[in-house]
Formats: sequence, structure tokens, C-alpha cells
Amino acid sequence: MTSRRQMLKSALLGGGASVVAATALGSLGPEAAFATAGAPEVEPGTVDPNFAEGRIRSIKDNTLLVLGSNMVFHNIRVVDGTSLWKLGPVPFEQAKPGDGLYARGVRMPDGVLAAEAVWLNIVNIKGHIKNITSDKIHLDHNGQEVLCHVVPGKSVAVHSESPPSADLSMLRVSQHVQILGAWRPDTNEVDIATVFSPH
Amino acid sequence: MVRRQPTDPPPIDLLASVQGEVSWFCCGTAWGPCSTTGKGACGTCNSGSLQHAWPNTSDACWAITHPDTCGFNLSRRTCGFQHRITALCSGTSVVTAIADCGPQTDLFCGEKSCCGATCASNRLIDLTPAAYSKIASLSAGLRPCEISTP
Repeated sequence: MTSRRQMLKSALLGGGASVVAATALGSLGPEAAFATAGAPEVEPGTVDPNFAEGRIRSIKDNTLLVLGSNMVFHNIRVVDGTSLWKLGPVPFEQAKPGDGLYARGVRMPDGVLAAEAVWLNIVNIKGHIKNITSDKIHLDHNGQEVLCHVVPGKSVAVHSESPPSADLSMLRVSQHVQILGAWRPDTNEVDIATVFSPH
Repeated sequence: MVRRQPTDPPPIDLLASVQGEVSWFCCGTAWGPCSTTGKGACGTCNSGSLQHAWPNTSDACWAITHPDTCGFNLSRRTCGFQHRITALCSGTSVVTAIADCGPQTDLFCGEKSCCGATCASNRLIDLTPAAYSKIASLSAGLRPCEISTP
């Protein structure tokens, strides 16, 4: 059986495989994208070469030129089967210079990262609620205030094992939460995807 | 600070694997709200490395995280110690090394996360983005998992 990683390699190495590979890879829903069979093991504690983080400096064709926070450049190739997330699944056109990202894929011999998944501006922060209104949560995150925006149709709250709910009215000032969302570049503001609440 | 008494049961993860919730956190040089996070309690934490935070890396760490509040008497594990984390949703696993103290288990006592009928309670471990993305999507910010030694 052909693994996802083999398909990604095929997509990048040409031979007319790219579109076929992308189709065969399927919709690449977030939970489906993590079959890493055949990948060489990475030593625990060390940098994973099949992962990249940083901010997009430029975009050319289907390649993101990303400057890592450690000042290392990454060329990240997006193929038809790559899943992109920016407050939800988005098309490639939603990737913009200035966006922060995390990407997982397959590092090719030429150093290009063939992306299985790219998460644009994703943040996952914990803190306590300083204030809350119908459309904003003021979160104290490690002593810094992060202004978190409720996005109609996108933002949900998860109260322990309960199913996600668009009703955020049960959240309370001073309680601890985890907010997963999309950072608005160069601000202290985040659009909310999910608020995880223990109660 | 809470210390184990001689009559206490041994830490559970010395005897067997333990199930709990896993999330992810950023550390090291980073962008956005993560840019002020720093390199963690061990001084080595990096979002791009296969690492994790553990609630009992020292007395000072335990005093912050207090997993005992939620009924967990986790073993002391120090910087560099390796755990295997298996996502209960997908069955995939990753082996990572301790690089920070966390998560703050006591603030989320009793919280449960599920995928289908498979659930686990209480936050026992946080992975770096590089590690978490090997077993789940970063957009799934919280998942049930099993923690063991490799």
C-alpha cells in the first residue's frame, strides 16, 4: 500500500503524479493526516526535520518561503493534497506574507518540506479570563493580555466532554481556559476557534 | 508543598501506563503570543523539537502544577526523561523528552476529552507543536492519550 509520505514525494518529484497523488491523498482532514509509516525515527528531544515553524516572507507559485523564528529559512511546498488551516480549513490563497505557521510534511533531499499540513497563525494559549463580552474575551496569558475575538459561525466552546457549542455564555470571569485560535499578525489579538473550559 | 508519605501508593506511572489529556504549547524562539515564552524550565525547549512538559520535574514544578489535586501522584521525571505518548483517537504515538514543567493540571481538574466513546480525564502532559503534530492535528487542541515509557 502506498503511504501518504510516498504520495507526497511522488507529487514533488514529478512524473505527472502531482494531481493524481493529491487526489489519492484524499481530503486530508486534520485527523487523517498523520500516517508516518516509513519515516525515519527522529531522536526524542531533538529538532524534527519534517516540521517547520516561522513566518511567511514570500509566496511563489506553490511554495512558501518561511523565515523560522530561529532565523533558518524553509521552503515549504504546498501540493493539492496539503491541508491548510486558518481558523478552519482554507484554500492556499488564504496564506499571506506575514502569517505565522507550523507545517508538517516530508523533508525532501533538496531541503524542501513537502507539506502534509500547514497551520496558519494557529495559537493554543492558556490563561484566565479577565473580562468577557458577547464578542470578546480578554485573556490574561502569562501576565499579558490577549484580546480574543468571537467569530460568528466559527467560534465554539467545549465544556469538558460536552460537544462543541457556539454558545459561549457559560464562560466566566476569572476562570481558566485554553483558547485555540488564529493570531492576527503583529497584534495581541486572536480570533477564537475553540475555547476549552474544564467546567 | 505536598510530599508523598510512606503509606501513599507508589506513583502510578511507575507501575503502568496512565491515561490523560494531551495538549500542545509553544516554546523557544517563536512568533505571536508565543514570542515571550522562553526555553522552558530545562532551558532547552523548542517548538520544533520532539519534547514535552511534565507536571513533576522538581519540587518547584510540583508546587505549581499539583496533579495530586486531581488524584494523580505522578513520578518525578527530570529534564531529558523520555515518555511515549499515544493518541487514543488515532493509535499513533511519539516518543519525546522532557523540556519544561507543565501543564498546570490542577486548573483543569476533572476535565474530560473524548473522540467518540474513547475518553480520558485531566491534563497530564503538553507536547511541543512538532511532537503533537505527529499524533494529531494542531487544530485539535486537546486529545485523550496514554502515557508510558518507551
